[in-house]
Amino acid sequence: MSDNVEKEVEHETGEGTDLWRVILAPVIWAVHFLVCYIAAAVYCEKAGRMADLLPAQLIVGAATLAALGGIAFIFHSLWKVRGVSTVNDNYNYAGSTPEERHRFLSHVALMLCVLSSVAIVYAALPAVFLDICR
Amino acid sequence: MANTGTEQLSADQNDPKIRAAQEARLEKAWATPRGWRYWSAVNNTEIGFRYTMTAFGFMLFAGVLGLLIRTQLAVPENDFLSAELYNQVFTLHGTAMMFLFAVPIFEAVAILILPALLGTRDLPFPRLSAFGYWCFLIGGVFVCGSIFFNAAPSGGWFMYPPLTTEQGGLGADIWLLGLSFIEVASIAAAVELIVGVLKCRPPGMHINLTPLYGWYVLIVGGMILFAFPPLIAGDFLLELERAFDWPFFDPDRGGDPLLWQHLFWIFGHPEVYIIFLPSIALLAMIVPTFAGRPIAGYSWIVLSALGTGFISFGLWVHHMFATGLPSISIGFFSAASEAVAIPTGIQIFVFIATLMLGKVTRSVPMLFALGSLAIFVAGGLTGVMVAVAPFDFQAHDSYFIVAHLHYTLFGGMLFPLVAGIYYYYPLVTGYMLSRRLGVWAFWLMFAGFNICFLPMHLTGMLGMPRRVFTYSSDLGWNELNLISTVGAFIFAAGFLVFVFDGLRPKSHRDKAKRNPWNAGTSEWVLEIPPKPWGARSIPHIESRYPVWDSENFTKRYDEGRFYLPDAEEGRRETLITSVLDAKPVQCLRVGGPTWITLIAAAALAGVFIFATYHWWTATAVSGALALAAIIYWAWTGTAEHPEKDEKNIGMGLKAPLYVSGPRATGWWAMFITMTGDLTAFMGLVFGYFFFWTVHEQFPPPDIDGPGWVWPLIAGFLLCGAWTLTYGARIWNGRGDVILFRLALLGGVLLSVMGIGALAAGPWSFGMVPTEHSYPAIVWALVLWTGAHAAAGIVMQLYCLARSFAGKLTPKYDADIWNVTLYWHFMGFTAPVTALIMGGFPLVA
Repeated sequence: MSDNVEKEVEHETGEGTDLWRVILAPVIWAVHFLVCYIAAAVYCEKAGRMADLLPAQLIVGAATLAALGGIAFIFHSLWKVRGVSTVNDNYNYAGSTPEERHRFLSHVALMLCVLSSVAIVYAALPAVFLDICR
Repeated sequence: MANTGTEQLSADQNDPKIRAAQEARLEKAWATPRGWRYWSAVNNTEIGFRYTMTAFGFMLFAGVLGLLIRTQLAVPENDFLSAELYNQVFTLHGTAMMFLFAVPIFEAVAILILPALLGTRDLPFPRLSAFGYWCFLIGGVFVCGSIFFNAAPSGGWFMYPPLTTEQGGLGADIWLLGLSFIEVASIAAAVELIVGVLKCRPPGMHINLTPLYGWYVLIVGGMILFAFPPLIAGDFLLELERAFDWPFFDPDRGGDPLLWQHLFWIFGHPEVYIIFLPSIALLAMIVPTFAGRPIAGYSWIVLSALGTGFISFGLWVHHMFATGLPSISIGFFSAASEAVAIPTGIQIFVFIATLMLGKVTRSVPMLFALGSLAIFVAGGLTGVMVAVAPFDFQAHDSYFIVAHLHYTLFGGMLFPLVAGIYYYYPLVTGYMLSRRLGVWAFWLMFAGFNICFLPMHLTGMLGMPRRVFTYSSDLGWNELNLISTVGAFIFAAGFLVFVFDGLRPKSHRDKAKRNPWNAGTSEWVLEIPPKPWGARSIPHIESRYPVWDSENFTKRYDEGRFYLPDAEEGRRETLITSVLDAKPVQCLRVGGPTWITLIAAAALAGVFIFATYHWWTATAVSGALALAAIIYWAWTGTAEHPEKDEKNIGMGLKAPLYVSGPRATGWWAMFITMTGDLTAFMGLVFGYFFFWTVHEQFPPPDIDGPGWVWPLIAGFLLCGAWTLTYGARIWNGRGDVILFRLALLGGVLLSVMGIGALAAGPWSFGMVPTEHSYPAIVWALVLWTGAHAAAGIVMQLYCLARSFAGKLTPKYDADIWNVTLYWHFMGFTAPVTALIMGGFPLVA
């Protein structure tokens, strides 16, 4: 492996950051979920059961757009890492090198982006179908 | 490229005499104490084994309670058990199965086998595991023993107030304090296992090569940190109400019983996954072995375990669908409950795909594995049904739910666990379990289980509610109940066959040969029967299935050609590596046999047990003893100065013997513990804002206090203590010992004043905690933060004493690093408490 590639790999895979990046998308899901739940629950508790749900729906909509936007951003940066290795031209990431570890974690993170966005869309659906706080 | 070390055969290892001498030294260092001293052993194999046996003991006890329930319900109008005893029996059945079996067996099995899977000699804190085990044993006996004095909890395993606040007797207190005590063991295990997976992987095992079981343990350890603390916070509040009449759950005085339901189920639902994931993790180890190929979709398993871990925290309200929450709240949780089926399903499909792509060998573990998949899929499908709120309104609190939860727990936890025990039995004991008896056990258990629980779906649909101690004969439930009872006894017979097989005398059994299942993962390189030292040499890993993939792996391992093949100084040593790439960073010397863990656990048990009976003096004495024992333990057993800076760890590498800060395992343990602690604090904060949500006006207009002045002062004082502690660490690092000691002393003074200022707020306004939930929650926050500041003072004084004793120096500074980390968390808790107490009433 040439020095340049080794440096690039080291730069790209820097210790300690990868694990946090893996859970970024599910953390966005969790924050979105809590924002929606707390906003709607507090609103309905204070406004009464017959109140129009519109303010809560707007918050859920905005939170959903922000969350999906954030995940799209992460997805984009991960997409560049997954796939073929820069070191040995194959698609494996079961090897004992920092580069393959990095691509493996990026791959998992990428799939978690997909799962998290599906779960976010699920969570947003009740706001689409309901119209009062009852 | 990293050198695999294959060619670095040191001349020594070729000489059988030298190897024999190494083995003798290892044997001596890791020898298990004999006779009555056996109980002082702390090594993971002894603790894990004891832990497993104890958890199964409680399981059998709870199983007998289950049979009593089924006997009582076999026929209508039965008087086998009285209503009161029946309440105790079903409460204790659920409680013991959940808290004394399902969760602890995860910790037990993980402590037992994780070091083998990681090729390490022990987990980083063997004494902590031992301490956790003793807490579990004492607490479990205390909780279970209560039924023999007709004093067992009888309010259902989830202890809903107002029933449990109105009930007299000790039952609910035993539940609250006994289980809080056992949760200490769970958090201890979480610390041990998370650090184990992150820092004790063998060199070369980058995180993408971690055995799948390790991934699951890591994720479940993380989940424990966020799931158990809310229950600890809830226990704290409910016990404050029971013991001192602080009305957190009393609607007449501004409390709300739903707060308990939230805190309980924020714990309770993730807990279901906390017991499910580690069991399914055993399948992830078993299935590839019997399919004869690597798992199909390693990354999919990691994805789904992580996804399940997260989404399982968005499900708790689905236990509360019938409490009258707004539809939109129900909708969010219903959606998440459906979404969690996606990652859960992925795991099942990965197993099926692996089996279809491989060539399957028939075996008892596989039988249990396949049985578990069948049962779990059925339980999962009814789970999707009850996640649909309108259906749940109908099925809620009926036997349909009983059937559903037993299908998920048997399929997701018990059957995979039994599969795992058949699979790992030879590794742990050196003997095989009988195939013949195994097949018998499986079919009896599988048939018995379905005969017992399948009809319950119908019983529930026909309207039979949970927890009734009897029913009249004209409701149409008679035959179904009788069938269920017969099934329960068939299941019990199957389980007894399994227990008999596991416990019968060794002379009647087959000795296991090495790697009896021809598995590929690294734990199967271990000698059978097992050696006390665990790994002969800590292997260098280059693949997920090294026994299959790496050339001469077993031979090199046996000849000690990997890391740490010797114990030159007669010490118990293992390797600590970096989190992502498993580069060696330290040769860690772990603790050996000791009684102090038992003494500390017994003293701490005294605190919880005496408090149950309101014997406050005894409680205080016990608390002081526990504190003394823990300080003695830390003083004599941690952060010792090594005789040299680094040592040769084999394969041409050296590693330091002493590290501090983020490279040290102790720092990680503190970080993990405090993360859990912070979650409990957030549970209390949640309580405060929950009251604000449900009240028209909160704080109530007729109750004044605690003002903003005292909280502001308290916040500043405690932040000052934090800053000085942080400064102390910096000055110590620069070699300025005088300034270090002065800063610590200043920190102690500011902390003492900070505690005083915290209490002065509500005190000066004469806030009475029994009057209303508002002063109660304010005082609860003061108690919590004050107690944490007091613990911080003990730590500051400990560092001072260590410094004067010459044990904490600028070079050996692990203690102050860890204490500073504790204070970083205080630097969050203290100002948040002050802001909520003093600031929120101003804006509300």
